[in-house]
Amino acid sequence: MPKIIFRLLLSFIVFVTIFIVIKQLVIPNSFGDYGHYRANSIDDNKGRTLYFKGDEKCISCHQDINDLINTDLHSEISCETCHPPKIDADTDCKVNPPKIKGTIEFCAQCHTKNAAREAIGFPNFDIKEHKGDQNCIECHNPHAPWELKE
Amino acid sequence: MGTKRINNNRRNFFKTTAALIGGTIAISIVKPFELIGQSKVEDKSDDKTIKPLWGMGVDIKKCIGCGKCSEACKIENNVPKEPFYFRTWVEQYTVKKDGEVKIESPNGGIGGLKQSVPDEDIFKSFMVPKLCNHCTDAPCVQACPVGATFISPEGVVFVDETYCIGCSYCIQACPYGARFMNPITKVADKCTFCYHRISKGLEPACVEVCPTDARIFGNLRDKKSDLVKFLQKNPTEVLKPHLNTKSRVFYNGLSSEVR
Repeated sequence: MPKIIFRLLLSFIVFVTIFIVIKQLVIPNSFGDYGHYRANSIDDNKGRTLYFKGDEKCISCHQDINDLINTDLHSEISCETCHPPKIDADTDCKVNPPKIKGTIEFCAQCHTKNAAREAIGFPNFDIKEHKGDQNCIECHNPHAPWELKE
Repeated sequence: MGTKRINNNRRNFFKTTAALIGGTIAISIVKPFELIGQSKVEDKSDDKTIKPLWGMGVDIKKCIGCGKCSEACKIENNVPKEPFYFRTWVEQYTVKKDGEVKIESPNGGIGGLKQSVPDEDIFKSFMVPKLCNHCTDAPCVQACPVGATFISPEGVVFVDETYCIGCSYCIQACPYGARFMNPITKVADKCTFCYHRISKGLEPACVEVCPTDARIFGNLRDKKSDLVKFLQKNPTEVLKPHLNTKSRVFYNGLSSEVR
């Protein structure tokens, strides 16, 4: 074999080897398993932290409130709708209890007067007109709104 | 000797040409049958029929615009609290009597949407919760130059955070404005249907907290799921159907004003 052909062949082999090695290093694991993406990315998303625990976890301690809420119009609402978690699901909620301030503004998020709510027949009203600056929870129990207090 | 060489050359030329043409024809005949040997590909398509296909239904006739979904989404997915980063948000549409349409979504609806147009000017008003539509033919996936955004076999559109280069092409490509640039991770961010929840059998956070059950989540392949029942009961429509994105978020009671 002439020397020049041998050199050409050698450099060609070296080039191809380097290309294959770089390709192996640059393309991440599981790329292309399902399509033009890293399939492990789906598992990365699976492993993210949970915050909302679900009603069952709340009821395991607060059975009394669950019984009360089931008697009235707020029965369809999840606990965490009003009491959003302040910690992730693995931590005990006693560490940082999901307490909320029962202000007029809080009730107003759902119940203040709005034409869109009126259109679908959702209970909405001018809170100022209803009882002025009196706090809603002075009369209404938020867990059973029609169990009026004296 | 001279004539011999010329003859040989000609013979060689014919030989090579015949080999090339023959080879090309042979390959073109064999190629369509290649799939038969690859049983792996067929296995994957079998997988797809077993895997769930996630979708969401939104009932506009039930949404009250309390913004609990936007709030819960931010907690569950560590979305920055500033008012311009949302994976889901609620818009209030108000059609005035003079025909003008007002669309507003202060802070994505967090804290409850408030009526800003006086009663006497309103012809109609309604709330529209929005999120990533998880399109079957997603424009954002086509736009991504590096393959960092993709549709999973379960029909969820993801962003691979470790692969995204932050070029924002997908944000421009999305016709629903459902994507944003996360200021902390510096990559594109979007709704994942709370994949870490649904893969464990839970509902997405927005569905979990909705007080009026305006959001319905389920498996489109399971004929008994709540979502399929919802689609059977109601005449639903997707957003921007003319774009042919074949999105998997279905709206009941959608007005033509919604953009």
